[in-house]
Amino acid sequence: MAEGPGTRTLPEIDVEEKLKSAFARGWSVIVWNDPVNLMDYVVYVFKTVLKMNEKDASRHMWEVHQKGKSLVARETREKSELIVHRLRGFGLNATMEQEKA
Amino acid sequence: MTCEQFEPGQWRLSFNEPETEFVLNTLARLGRHYQDDILRMPPTLRAYWQGTITRGETAAKEEIRELQDDLTAARAELRADRLALVENWMRDYELSENRNPWRVDVTTAERDEFLAMLNDRRIMLALEMGITEDDMEADLGQIANEARRGGILEIDVLGHFILVMLGPQIYRP
Repeated sequence: MAEGPGTRTLPEIDVEEKLKSAFARGWSVIVWNDPVNLMDYVVYVFKTVLKMNEKDASRHMWEVHQKGKSLVARETREKSELIVHRLRGFGLNATMEQEKA
Repeated sequence: MTCEQFEPGQWRLSFNEPETEFVLNTLARLGRHYQDDILRMPPTLRAYWQGTITRGETAAKEEIRELQDDLTAARAELRADRLALVENWMRDYELSENRNPWRVDVTTAERDEFLAMLNDRRIMLALEMGITEDDMEADLGQIANEARRGGILEIDVLGHFILVMLGPQIYRP
């Protein structure tokens, strides 16, 4: 197929790999400790954003507080990205990490 | 300050006069902050508003760059959205007939945004002043620097407002 002006066809393999990566459940969302966010606030945010029950939300909050970080979700790239954006919207220090194959 | 649920998903926030003054002052500062150019902010605040998508290096660099750009764009949009919310709160106060106490009815989603904005102010103060966990636990009387003491006090008062709105959350078996 001929390329139109100003367009570029990606090699099919690249597109497939990108799609596979985006929808593979290989990403972790990590929340890191910080000096300001209140414990009850963090629990509320976990319940609201991650739909955790009170017990799980509290367990993850304590893990952040005592160990410096907690893995709060394992998701696809797209979903992890959305979760990180929402957690950061509430002021939590969240990142996403790709799990090693 | 009080926070009552008067219908499912509907909350009534009520502030006495000093609390109202405190909240309005916080909103005014937030409004200015949300309009500030992040490139002119101190590095810690700039980093907060740009956000860091990952601390790992396992993903492809191009993929990380895309994710980082998405986060930075989303954070810029969030600041614009929150500026509009600050203006709504200020307008609500201007139009309010009863200001002592000042009562505001909000949905759960609006209350969550208000919580997150008050928390933004707490984080701004902490980042501007380099406040640590030890500072937060210290006796205020032991902190010699007046501006720092004022900052910690403001963080504490805003924290109190947040806790009033949330009620106890932590699971205690």
